Amino acid sequence: MKAGGVELGEAKNSAPRRGVNRGISILDFILRLLAFIGTLGSAIAMATTNETLPFFTRFIRFRAEYDDLPTFTFFVIANAIVSGYLILSLPLSIFNIIRSSAQKSRIILVIFDTAILALLTAGASAAAAIVYLAHKGNARVNWFAICQQFNSFCERTSASLIGSFAGIAVFILIMVLSAVALYRR
Amino acid sequence: MSDSTTIDVPESSAATKGKAPLMGAPRHERGGFKKGIAIFDFVLRIGAIVCVLAAAASMGTSDETLPFFTQFFQFQASYDDLPTFQYFVVAMALVGGYLVFSLPFSVVTIIRPHAVGPRFLLLIMDTVALTFNTAAAAAAAAIVYLAHNGNPNTNWLAICNQFGDFCQKVSGAVVASFVAVLLFVVLVVLSGLVLRKH
Repeated sequence: MKAGGVELGEAKNSAPRRGVNRGISILDFILRLLAFIGTLGSAIAMATTNETLPFFTRFIRFRAEYDDLPTFTFFVIANAIVSGYLILSLPLSIFNIIRSSAQKSRIILVIFDTAILALLTAGASAAAAIVYLAHKGNARVNWFAICQQFNSFCERTSASLIGSFAGIAVFILIMVLSAVALYRR
Repeated sequence: MSDSTTIDVPESSAATKGKAPLMGAPRHERGGFKKGIAIFDFVLRIGAIVCVLAAAASMGTSDETLPFFTQFFQFQASYDDLPTFQYFVVAMALVGGYLVFSLPFSVVTIIRPHAVGPRFLLLIMDTVALTFNTAAAAAAAAIVYLAHNGNPNTNWLAICNQFGDFCQKVSGAVVASFVAVLLFVVLVVLSGLVLRKH
């Protein structure tokens, strides 16, 4: 009789538990879409920077592109890889919605999400360091602030950082959701 | 009638906790596996503390004064000439402090392998610390790359040609920081693996 009572209790709890799990999976899917849009937007915004000044002087270049700085090239590549990964992980996310008690697919997603989060953060913060340097320069090491000449280039690169950092915040949310879903299985 | 109401249940440690005995592997065996992973997690944390503190110390003591001077260049280089390096030292110190603070939680997961609360907390905090650490390491790496190679397009000169020792210490600090990032990734994946319900 005691074993029968335990079974009944489990059946009562598992229906709302599956409902919450399904809600978590749907939220995870939506967050992945948002992160994809953010990182793709960042990559495109940075890759299409191109400014040519109407005048020139003897000492300063009169044209600025994103691949003049290797760090920005790394930023574009990292964001492209992250958006590609997000598109590829959408089918797994849909599978998690359909089968709310899937464990192996969630663990695979957690492992890859951690590595991709590290890559995205590295790209975004390296580009942020260079953008900061371009805005302020550094008198002690004689590095000149190029933003004083190239206004629209600077604005474009700074704005493209926003999508990337938003993607980082969304990724952290995705990882927390995955941990909750794993625990509540 | 008495036969149908008496069930012959073999004695096992799981039965004393009031659960049905045939639910998969017995709980105390899986507890051993979780305890092993918790010990590995503790060891990795100690390794990460060493890496992070080494990175902060190496960057913080990277002053160099050249024995000569020219008309155009500074003859002194220190980590606080560059705000990114200041941020790096502060971030490494904060991450090291967090790691020391998380050691008791790790010990709790060793003692009680089936406790979920501390594991969950460690997973979330480790993810945030991973992001913070990676941000500091990558920003410093961008500046170190620039210091080594310069950039002809923006007229930024490679200061490493003058300041060899400073560059070496700073590059070493960035490498140690990236090793800590790797350890953090392994820590997060381990916590995720252990958290699942069997």
